[in-house]
Amino acid sequence: MKKILLIFSLLLLTCTYVMSQTVQITGTVTSSEDGLALPGVNVTVKGTTIGAITTAEGKYFLSAPAKAQTLVFSFIGFRTTEVPIGGRTKVDAVLTQDTYNVEEVVVVAYGTQQKRDVTGSVASVKGDAIRTVPVQSFDQALQGKAAGVSITLPNGVLNNPPVIRIRGYNSISGSSSPLIVVDGVPIASGNFGGTAAANALSDINPSDIASMDILKDASATALYGSRAANGVILITTKHGSGGKTKVTYDGYVGFTEPTHIFKVMDAAQYIEEKNAARVNYLGESAAKIVQLTDANGKPIDTNWADHIYHKGFQQNHTVTISGATPSTSYYLSVGYSDQQGMVKTNTFSRKNARLNIDHNVTSFLKIGANIGYTNGYSRSPQVGADYATAASARLAFVLPPVLPVYNNDGTLNIAGAGIGGQGEPFGNLGYPNPDVVLKENKFTTETDRLLTTLYATVTLFKGMELRTQYGIDNLTSEQMWYLSPINGDGQGSNGDAGASNRKFRRWNWSNTASYTKSIAETYNIGLLAGVEEQRTVDNSWSGEKYNVNDPFFKTYQGSWTNVYMGGGGMGENYYISYFGRASFNYSRKYFLEGSVRRDGFSGLSTGKKFGTFWGASAMWDLSKEEFISNAIGNIFSDMRLKASYGRVGNISAVGDFSSLFLYGSGLYATVPTLAFTQAGNADLKWETSDKYDAGISFSLFKDRIQTQLNYYYNNINGLVLSVPQSPSKGIPGSSIPANVGSMYNTGAEISITSFNIAKPNFSWTTTLNLSTLKNKVTALAPGVDEILGYTGGLEISNKTVVGQPVGGLYVVETRGVDPQTGRRIFVNKAGKEVEFYYENSGSARWQYKDESGVAPAITQSSDGKIMGSGIPKVFGGLDNNLTYKNLDFSINLTYAFGFDIYNGTKAGLRDQRWWNNSAEVAETYWKQPGDVTDIAKPFWGDNISNGHNSLPQSSLVEKGDYVKIRNISLGYVIRKLPSITGIESIRVYVQAFNLHTFTKYSGSDPEISSNGDSNVSPGVDRNSAPQARTYTLGVNINF
Amino acid sequence: MNMRNILKMAAAFLVLLTAGCSKEYLNPVPQTSLSDLSVFDNKDRIVAQVNGMYSAVKAGWYLGGRYQSVADMRGDNFIPLSNNAYVNFNTWNHLEISATMEVNDIWNQIYASVNTVNVFLDGLKSNWESGKLAGIISEEEYNQFTSEALTLRAMCYFDLTRLYAKPYIQGNGENLGVPLRVKAEKSAEGNDLARSTVAEVYAQVLSDLNAAEPLAIANYGSDDLNTTRIHKNTIIALKTRVLLTKCDWAGAVSESAKIVPASAPFVAPSGVPNALSTNWSAIWTNNTTKESIFSLPNTDINNGGGQSAITWYFSSESGESVYLVATSPVYAAMDPTDIRRSSMDVLVPGGSDPDQYFLTKYTHFTTLSDWCPVIRYAEILLSRAEALVRSGGSVTQEAVDLLNAVRTRAFPTGAFTLASFATPADFYSAVLQERNFEFLGEGMRSFDLMRLGLDIPAKEGLTMGNIGAIPASSAAYYWPIPSGELSLNKLCVP
Repeated sequence: MKKILLIFSLLLLTCTYVMSQTVQITGTVTSSEDGLALPGVNVTVKGTTIGAITTAEGKYFLSAPAKAQTLVFSFIGFRTTEVPIGGRTKVDAVLTQDTYNVEEVVVVAYGTQQKRDVTGSVASVKGDAIRTVPVQSFDQALQGKAAGVSITLPNGVLNNPPVIRIRGYNSISGSSSPLIVVDGVPIASGNFGGTAAANALSDINPSDIASMDILKDASATALYGSRAANGVILITTKHGSGGKTKVTYDGYVGFTEPTHIFKVMDAAQYIEEKNAARVNYLGESAAKIVQLTDANGKPIDTNWADHIYHKGFQQNHTVTISGATPSTSYYLSVGYSDQQGMVKTNTFSRKNARLNIDHNVTSFLKIGANIGYTNGYSRSPQVGADYATAASARLAFVLPPVLPVYNNDGTLNIAGAGIGGQGEPFGNLGYPNPDVVLKENKFTTETDRLLTTLYATVTLFKGMELRTQYGIDNLTSEQMWYLSPINGDGQGSNGDAGASNRKFRRWNWSNTASYTKSIAETYNIGLLAGVEEQRTVDNSWSGEKYNVNDPFFKTYQGSWTNVYMGGGGMGENYYISYFGRASFNYSRKYFLEGSVRRDGFSGLSTGKKFGTFWGASAMWDLSKEEFISNAIGNIFSDMRLKASYGRVGNISAVGDFSSLFLYGSGLYATVPTLAFTQAGNADLKWETSDKYDAGISFSLFKDRIQTQLNYYYNNINGLVLSVPQSPSKGIPGSSIPANVGSMYNTGAEISITSFNIAKPNFSWTTTLNLSTLKNKVTALAPGVDEILGYTGGLEISNKTVVGQPVGGLYVVETRGVDPQTGRRIFVNKAGKEVEFYYENSGSARWQYKDESGVAPAITQSSDGKIMGSGIPKVFGGLDNNLTYKNLDFSINLTYAFGFDIYNGTKAGLRDQRWWNNSAEVAETYWKQPGDVTDIAKPFWGDNISNGHNSLPQSSLVEKGDYVKIRNISLGYVIRKLPSITGIESIRVYVQAFNLHTFTKYSGSDPEISSNGDSNVSPGVDRNSAPQARTYTLGVNINF
Repeated sequence: MNMRNILKMAAAFLVLLTAGCSKEYLNPVPQTSLSDLSVFDNKDRIVAQVNGMYSAVKAGWYLGGRYQSVADMRGDNFIPLSNNAYVNFNTWNHLEISATMEVNDIWNQIYASVNTVNVFLDGLKSNWESGKLAGIISEEEYNQFTSEALTLRAMCYFDLTRLYAKPYIQGNGENLGVPLRVKAEKSAEGNDLARSTVAEVYAQVLSDLNAAEPLAIANYGSDDLNTTRIHKNTIIALKTRVLLTKCDWAGAVSESAKIVPASAPFVAPSGVPNALSTNWSAIWTNNTTKESIFSLPNTDINNGGGQSAITWYFSSESGESVYLVATSPVYAAMDPTDIRRSSMDVLVPGGSDPDQYFLTKYTHFTTLSDWCPVIRYAEILLSRAEALVRSGGSVTQEAVDLLNAVRTRAFPTGAFTLASFATPADFYSAVLQERNFEFLGEGMRSFDLMRLGLDIPAKEGLTMGNIGAIPASSAAYYWPIPSGELSLNKLCVP
């Protein structure tokens, strides 16, 4: 590779560079719409790099070679216009607006391209589309914005990373999340927090984003080689433009609340239903749950959700200063965000500053920097979703309404670690009093992030550019937690406090040479060659203390009697990569492009560190063929056929040291130990993804309707699976990683943008995208026919098998409640119906429904089957944007169809221990033969009949189909303010986020992911917090 | 820009392009783990590996707490405070199924311990035989480490088979036991392995113990090590337990004779002078009395952890622990003056109805640093007493003396005489009762019932509901093979 680069460079050096005589040209550039001067227009002499930028008055001045023929005027939002010089020294230009955005530039790997010249599959989203959405990070706002991109918010807790899937699930053990590249540097993503989540992507203020370009197929992603399989999201931050300095202020205030709260039994219902369960199980005398009264003699009927949720106040402010002189452009922004969540004491704040600067040192040397610093701070109580007893989402519905928050003497109602039972026959519950754990316990994550790119480009001669770029991504995350000795998880240890620190340090240095050449405007060639190194060091440590010396101390740094063993980890990895791209088009009619990257990765074993990845694509612009344009050109203003194929990789399942056999050291009480802790695999390598893509794009009615249709097929081989080992082998972690599995994702994508109305005073644009996805596992490890997916480490909720989508919902089939007996009907593996009798002991609990006697116990492992998939088959978004004079209105819908959810939360809401239940239980439980209901005859303590974590049942699998009003906004723009204010325009808007969900799903929200980013356990709802709905009132001011 | 400058810049750029590829960065060495190639490099690391085996056995999911607690929870003594499935509620109410968490996790941890042992044995043997260890450890040390490994493996298999299979007494061990893995497992090969019979597992256990005994150290010369590491008497004690559980009464008599003299004072005549502690309470305040033949040490920073630690289950402070009430059969049967009863703790007298009595064997709730008892000398005395009568067919004074030695220490006025037992069966009941009194909260009760093929009695659960008896013929009498094993080991049948 080095030799190729050398030859390439030498070839270029043989070219010559000739200076010649010049002429001075001036002129004015105006807009065709209103005739006003256009500042900041880029004017270049065609075929050279000589150029200028227009002033605030729209004037320019440049020195052109005497033989220059044509000037090119380009400006964002306007069609690029060429004007012949014709020997004049004053050349004016009138630019027309690019109403239909056909000249948009998209960012691609290591460069930019005209949208219509892109041969690969790229979806672009402009920063303005998400700037005002009241979320913490841009990825949360990308829902429904791009075809093939599925974004799921796991719940409404602040700063939780969403689950991002581009064209499906591309890994099983590794990550299926895309690579995120900010201003050319691949950055850390994922959660850098713990109980208080810290999405690494929230360190980028959405207001600073100019564009998000999503690379999907092999051709577009190949230059990211071994990290490309999950797709790539390229984030470009804003740069200054235009002559005059622009100052803007964006701000909003608002509040957030849960979208859904379960309707649970009130005290009267609870007493009636639970006593009935007690009588059924323990006899008449057991009906001992009574209505207690508070100090004022009023019956106690606690609505626990009121003690968990509230309306959270939010505010967000960003000030930017940007502009450009002919030699320098700058963009400076500072932002402050302070958000309360819907769950009490859940907060997020961010302070950030960014400076992007570009400077032309000479006509051939340009340097620049993008520097972003962010401080983020999240606080959250334990929320879920899992089985934690302190999880507040669960406490909101599990606690009995008959218990008070405070005793009648005003003290907290607590008993040991749990809430006090108030003499009720269920004793102490082990679940804490939420008022204590929400107010006293504290979990925080604070992050400091420096994201920096420094670059220099040298234009050696026309078309030949060298670029060196050094990027830094330094992310330090500090988590602190405190568990109160009063009640909850910290009670037993008399308080507990901990701290952990993670330092993620990455540098990335890339050097590229690019060459573009156009021969007679017909043969257009683009070449790129580069080398890139990236090193990441990711170290962490943690400490924990307990048994507080004085309850005054509520931090790790305070005084404590005991300490736990500290923890932490050290990881490092390194990539060295060589890459190149060649693109060619003939008269912009026939396009060909090929990319190749050779990646070396430190985590692989010696001698097996390097692999080669590539992609190739072709495009045919049919509309440039006369025989076609003559025939249909009056309807179709553009029509292109595209196809691509290539092989990229996914290294995410290979850890820093996965290939090694390792021994870990620990303690046996007080003496050191050493034990086999990792069975490595020296043959481990990346997963490969063979991506096929074919598409057609066309525009109708002079670009008014722009449509893209794509078909994709990703065939993934060599999936690294932690090949489960029989537990009896005693292998550490019971698994060994190996490249064994295969899987595919296939589907179609449609995106349509329609400029329904495009008049100066009235515009209406509709954007629809729809994607289909079929995921199928085609091979697992030899001898391993299933991979189990866990929820909360306790429940086997999913199973991955060959021939089905990854992570199918794994339940025992049930067929409702037998109206005659009131018993849940389970179906065993032989297809026979078996009923459950909780009150019997031992094997007599399971009886055949046909009264043929005792049946073998129903178990998930012997009788369970896959009954549904949590992966939507169809998903997308529909946006409508309208402006009428000064009013603007937008409504964004997102939707997903064709998937199922295992509603484990419902199992809890029907559990017949002391747990409170949904109101439907009290209203509909089985009482006598003939009752048709889905709630079995209640027996005190019965946690099986209506669902249990060791016996998930199909009565809890529901359709998840939904349509959401994701975001809706109404704005009014005020222009022509008195010039003394210095204000150019003010836009005032109101906005609602997550306004409403249309669904038949009975849980809190069908957009769910109790298991976060896990590939093998999607579609599970287990005590998840609801989503958050946010209303904001905002203002954007341009000075 | 002239040609010379262009050349200079291009040359500089080429230097940049070719600067990369640091060999060091491309071949990183982990900083927090050791390579398998270096773990036999010196004696400290070998000793650390020996301790690593004990540490595996001491994990929360095995003898760090779970194993003892499920053995007690399966029995008929305790009532749980919490119905939390995470703290063995399904074990207590006999709803354990193949997929139940503790059914899987205990299995996983015991087998992880087995493989830790096997990997060590394998490495120790090959390094020794290749001569690499010459000058690093002596032959005595080699033998001693081998004996410790074999004993731990035997303990693991014994504990597996008595929990996951029918007791030996049913069908004389001809029922299916557990898969026997005695080779180091380090690769992806060999998932499938059929279950051996119970008798085969016992044969392996006894063969390991017999092989270990002559290799073992007699006395470490330190109370700490004599309690936390395996020595000759530990092996004999364990073998006594295995033989008794196998109903090999004569075997248990002859084995226990190695460490129990024919008459008082009962002090092991060789090796570590194991003996009863004169003061019962002292066993729970001093971790290293001569009575504690083998215990697993805990500290505040190294213990079974949270809800798996033994203290969690039995201390009054956790909110998820277990308790007795006055009507609990074992409580009711104990004399009020018996310290094993009078030492129990009522959290708040009258604070709950009925009063809840908690053990005070494990009291370090905040630190979870109570040591986990595995074998006490008292057990050997009672096992020998029982084996003597069962093998001889009649109650002897020696057997009564052994029983009294344990009984009167805690209940000084409770001594039996020969006349107390009309029939051997009376003696069997008395010794079983005494074991129940003595080893409450030490993981003994359900195994004592099972080794004799006795039904697990019904139990009153108060707020947790009443639980019916589990007959010895029931499938719920022993634990099912875990779902995790069944799904991967295709030769392993349920």
